[in-house]
Amino acid sequence: MTTVDSIHDHVHHGAHHEEGSYLTPRGGFWSTIWSWATTVDHKKIGVMYLFAVMFMFFLGGMAAIAVRLELLEPVRVVQENLADGTTVTHITGQLFAPAGAESIDAGNQIYNRLFTLHGAIMVFMFIVPSVPASLGNFFLPLMLGAKDVAFPRVNLLSWYIYTTGSIFGIISIIMGGVDTGWTFYTPYSTNTDADHWRVFFMVLAAFVLGFSSILTGLNFVVTTHKLRAPGMGWFDMPLFVWAIYATSIIQVLATPVIGITLLLLLFERLFHIGIFDPGLGGDPVLFQHFFWFYSHPVVYVMILPGMGIISELLAVHARKHIFGYRAIAFSSLGIAAVSFLVWGHHMFTAMGELSSTIFSALTFLVAIPTAIKVFNWIATLYKGSIAINTPMLYALAFLFLFSIGGLTGLPLATLSTDLHLHDSYFVVAHFHYVMMGGTVIAMIGGIHHWWPKMFGKMYNEKVGILGCVLVFVGFNVTFFTQFFLGTQGMPRRYASYVDEFHTLHMISTFGSWIILAGFLTHFFNFVHSLVAGPKAPPNPWGGLTLEWETESPPIEHNFHHEVLVTHGPYDYESVVPPHCDEKDFPLPEGAAS
Amino acid sequence: MTTPSAPPVMNQAQDAVTQAADAAQGAVDAAANAVPPVPPVHPYLDRGGLIHGLFFRNEGHTDTIITTDAMFMLIFWFSAFFFVLLMVLMVYWTIKYRRRPGVAPPRSSAHNTPLEVFWTVVPSSSMLVMFFLGFWGYMNKVVPVGGAMELNVKAQKWDWTITYPDGTQSGQLVELGGRNNIKINVLPEDTDVKLRMSSIDVIHAFWLPDYRTKMDVFPNRYTGYGFHTPKLGPGDDHPEGRYRDHWVFCAEYCGDLHSEMAAIIRIMSREDYEKWLKGQGSTGDPVLDGKKVWQTKCATCHTTDGKDNIGPTWLNMYGEPVEFTDGTSLVVDENYIRESILNPSAKIVKGKQNQMTSFQGNITDEEIENVIAFMKSISEAGKTEGGAETPAEGGEGAPAEGADHEGGEGG
Amino acid sequence: MATIDSQRLDMPAPPPRGSDKHPLFWKNRGHAHHYRSAAEEFDACKLGMWLFLATEILLFAGIFCAYTVFRSLYPEAWAAGSHHLDWRFGAMNTIVLLFSSWTAASAVRSAQLGKRGALIGNLVITIICAAAFIFIKLKFEYFVKLGLGKAPGTWFSYPYAEHPQEPLWWSIYYMGTGLHALHVIIGACLLGWVLFRTVRYNAYGPTHYTMVETSALYWHLVDIIWIFLFPLLYLIH
Ligand code: HEA
Ligand code: HEA
Ligand code: CUA
Ligand SMILES: [Cu+2]
Repeated sequence: MTTVDSIHDHVHHGAHHEEGSYLTPRGGFWSTIWSWATTVDHKKIGVMYLFAVMFMFFLGGMAAIAVRLELLEPVRVVQENLADGTTVTHITGQLFAPAGAESIDAGNQIYNRLFTLHGAIMVFMFIVPSVPASLGNFFLPLMLGAKDVAFPRVNLLSWYIYTTGSIFGIISIIMGGVDTGWTFYTPYSTNTDADHWRVFFMVLAAFVLGFSSILTGLNFVVTTHKLRAPGMGWFDMPLFVWAIYATSIIQVLATPVIGITLLLLLFERLFHIGIFDPGLGGDPVLFQHFFWFYSHPVVYVMILPGMGIISELLAVHARKHIFGYRAIAFSSLGIAAVSFLVWGHHMFTAMGELSSTIFSALTFLVAIPTAIKVFNWIATLYKGSIAINTPMLYALAFLFLFSIGGLTGLPLATLSTDLHLHDSYFVVAHFHYVMMGGTVIAMIGGIHHWWPKMFGKMYNEKVGILGCVLVFVGFNVTFFTQFFLGTQGMPRRYASYVDEFHTLHMISTFGSWIILAGFLTHFFNFVHSLVAGPKAPPNPWGGLTLEWETESPPIEHNFHHEVLVTHGPYDYESVVPPHCDEKDFPLPEGAAS
Repeated sequence: MTTPSAPPVMNQAQDAVTQAADAAQGAVDAAANAVPPVPPVHPYLDRGGLIHGLFFRNEGHTDTIITTDAMFMLIFWFSAFFFVLLMVLMVYWTIKYRRRPGVAPPRSSAHNTPLEVFWTVVPSSSMLVMFFLGFWGYMNKVVPVGGAMELNVKAQKWDWTITYPDGTQSGQLVELGGRNNIKINVLPEDTDVKLRMSSIDVIHAFWLPDYRTKMDVFPNRYTGYGFHTPKLGPGDDHPEGRYRDHWVFCAEYCGDLHSEMAAIIRIMSREDYEKWLKGQGSTGDPVLDGKKVWQTKCATCHTTDGKDNIGPTWLNMYGEPVEFTDGTSLVVDENYIRESILNPSAKIVKGKQNQMTSFQGNITDEEIENVIAFMKSISEAGKTEGGAETPAEGGEGAPAEGADHEGGEGG
Repeated sequence: MATIDSQRLDMPAPPPRGSDKHPLFWKNRGHAHHYRSAAEEFDACKLGMWLFLATEILLFAGIFCAYTVFRSLYPEAWAAGSHHLDWRFGAMNTIVLLFSSWTAASAVRSAQLGKRGALIGNLVITIICAAAFIFIKLKFEYFVKLGLGKAPGTWFSYPYAEHPQEPLWWSIYYMGTGLHALHVIIGACLLGWVLFRTVRYNAYGPTHYTMVETSALYWHLVDIIWIFLFPLLYLIH
């Protein structure tokens, strides 16, 4: 990589050579706040997103802990013989029932709200914006050698739309929450609860968040097309960029459909226009089609950026050219394309035989590009120089967990077995393995990987590894049990269950506490790093992608000079990484340095 | 009408030999009935073995079930093969090629076309096989068998009402593990059954885990599937008789008591079944018939022993004043009861929510009158009014000792 | 736009609006600092707009999908419902929109040629057409129909319905045309903003007309969607 002097005249930009990091406060406290609130700098917006989505993750995680706590005990009736011989009934296990409420539905109502909030927060407010809007925002322009995204002000707008949507969601929660499930299936969602406004606000939140998602995606597509540094062809782009690019295409093309769906749902809810209401001739299955037409592609919006992160982590920390670069790049696009054709696999129990059969066949297609990726990642490790640190361990954990999650998608895609497994805990386990074990694990790995770059501080490696092990173990304890629960007959969204499932549920709940301990470990590690971490060098891992070229943390306009790309992102065998010493990163025999 | 004091027996460890014999018998019978034209997938990997036992609580008694389990186990072993292979390579290489300070990594190629083609083709072709096998099993499940006994299933928040071909509905209730008043529906052994299902409010799903099948139940539309009941074996003998129980769970989220929306399918010998069916018919006594209506239609939400539930308890309700959410109140009489059944949202009892779906079209006038008679019989005011003198022992009778057998071990 | 900001900081007293020294005057427009050239920025904006139009089309695709499903389920209701629509109002609105699309295109052309007067004239006509469209929609269609009880879903109270599913037809009708009308209003606002900047700052000319181009593109989209709505709703007897 070389940088040449900017071909720009430096009259307007002359100050750039002395400018400080993007984190340097400008003026006093309030003007710093103001400068963040009105910034169009993709890095600041990315950091704001990072904190916002992590907060949402925390909220959703707390709801999950509450869900698991409720499931610690099956609900049962204890009968006591009092002195006069009558029997008195106590309901146990309904932890969150209001004090004194004896009736069985009080506890159930709270449980139903908890898992809805958990799902809705995790999906709409956390995982969809998670990687693209935070790490993507920060690193996409840097990796392309650009100074910013294509439309910086649209980027800020998208952040504010996200905040607005999240506030609507939180208003709904404060008003008492909704109990529709994150899927809002009609006709239940259009007539549950006398209080319109809670459901209204939650649906509105999802609707508004969609716009934020569209604008981010649109911005990234244009950025990738137009703002690559001179010398960077499509196949010189890092795979993270490819992944974000494919993700953005899905976001742009799928989100409008959920927009219109939720709009119709809002009208249905408020005015009973009847489109989804069987009583008026409407069709509730149409809602499911609309919903999954968005929500299936969106699961790849969740996972593709995670896959992109993994490609980077493996290459950098194994110091290896990623195996099958083109295959990985194209399989991202392949997944994006096929993802639009398989939505019906969520509705095998609701559709006719013909459509079920077609959707089942198409669903298997989507497993193929994913399998290709996994094979390539594993092959990348071969003859590498593998560093065992937190990001790498997270990458390996991703391979482990995501493979399980993806492979358990196969019996769900198979018609005969899905009739048994649909809406059981098997599905719950499947999607936690892909969403939590895939995306979240990749994201936490990515945060560790890029933490020095983003904040200019190193984190404590030992504590990081401890957290990673805790999360990994806890995760498996929590969710592997749920596969057995599902096949044995435990339906999902159950506030209480029959006693036969008690042991497995108990183990699962214990696991969730281990996960919590793991995340708290990470949390304190990060806080400690921000407060007292050692200063990070510009390129602590010896990465070759462009973000390692600039300082840690990057300067306000990203690069001191106009960037000119002269080598590929993974040429570890021929290039000594920028800011690194050949002693620490020796090249193989005969490499031209 | 008796109510069982024992919990339903399902999934209990049975004598392995008899069970295997039983299942084999089931397979033979299924073949004899020419149920599905498709043979089960063979070889059945690990049938009844450790791994299968972890996933499923019983071995299945018909071809359809066995095919499903075999399909699942096939995918399981396929996945396990790739998973173990990849993980072993991953861990081995991570250790073998771990970073050594100052040592350059060996050179290696960045791609290999034949290898990449190979690992594209292999998954692709296995996906094709998986799809076709799954499709077969599916057609077996959803295409109903001719001449099957047809059950009409009505779903409603949060209860299943199953109507037998002769119009009978089960009124046998059992209280289990905090679940209110679960209905027991008896079916004869070794019979083809076909479900015709619809809902009167939101979407539900009728899941028989022991039969590995479920289907969504929609308002304004019929769905269904068929299954074959097992032949009872020696493992099905209980102190109270000879039967085998299967759970029915609601598997589509439908609101507050979604998790309580269960039922039991009890398999009995043909004679026991006929006897049971007779016992469910009309008695000619309005109070007893009213009680029966309560059991089939109302018991999920209304108790008769004073306990609180979704709806107000009926114990001493008739003839007593009630207060409504809008502040008004009145004394419960025949007209109020009738209105509450047909137009439940008109008046909501204080402390309750507007949860009840109208029974308009799903209850006859005679049934309403019987319900009123029953309500009178369990209320002091109603009895002194000169109503029937039937004992008001409070509904569902003998309390369950709860399905308290712990554990998740499979059979 | 960072150049503008820095110029604002650099220059203590900005020149009067509309003067050719004002930074918003089209000849003074540079390009945002993260682009290499103005042409690149223009291309990026256009690509962005096209993507956005794709999302709009997909938004309406939902309505068209619902329309198709219910039309195949209840063809009689659809025929009956369509009879209540007067094709003449629909056709009138079609002509209004087609004409305005032409003036919008002319506005872009005028900006490219630097004809300020023609630009303003074309924009004004386009906006008037938008207003006319909304007026016809409300005055002769919505208000009249709602007055007769031809309302969506449970609000339907028209006593002479020929088919039980007619309320559903009206739901689709109002959702489709209502959403479209909303887009007409948004498009008119965009064009109004362009007009404002033209009059105030003389902001668009041969070397800088991104905003004119993208707003016009948006306006064409509004037109195209109507071209689909019109026959599907009015002409299916
Ligand atoms: C990140 C999100 C994510 C991802 C990536 C996936 C990936 C996949 N999912 Fe999943 N899915 C969800 C999130 C996700 N899913 C969610 C949230 C739900 C439930 C929603 C709800 O109802 O609330 C769901 C539900 C769901 C269902 C519906 C179940 C039901 O309700 O009945 C189905 C059915 O087909 C399915 C299938 C698949 C398949 C085939 C893949 C494939 O893409 C997987 C491909 C991956 C692999 C195959 C593994 C890796 C490869 C190897 C290890 C190599 C070896 C492999 C081979 C040789 C094949 N998923
Ligand atoms: C991204 C998606 C996501 C994630 C990460 C999770 C995470 C978890 N989920 Fe969630 N879940 C869903 C998405 C997700 N879930 C969805 C979509 C549903 C379906 C809802 C529906 O049916 O409608 C669901 C449903 C669901 C159920 C089924 C409920 C039911 O059907 O009845 C259960 C039950 O066990 C569960 C448990 C958990 C647990 C224990 C975790 C744990 O892994 C959570 C652990 C996290 C924490 C404990 C937070 C700790 C965080 C911090 C302390 C901050 C740290 C900060 C830094 C690291 C910087 N989830
Ligand atoms: Cu009925 Cu869930
Ligand atoms: Cu899916």
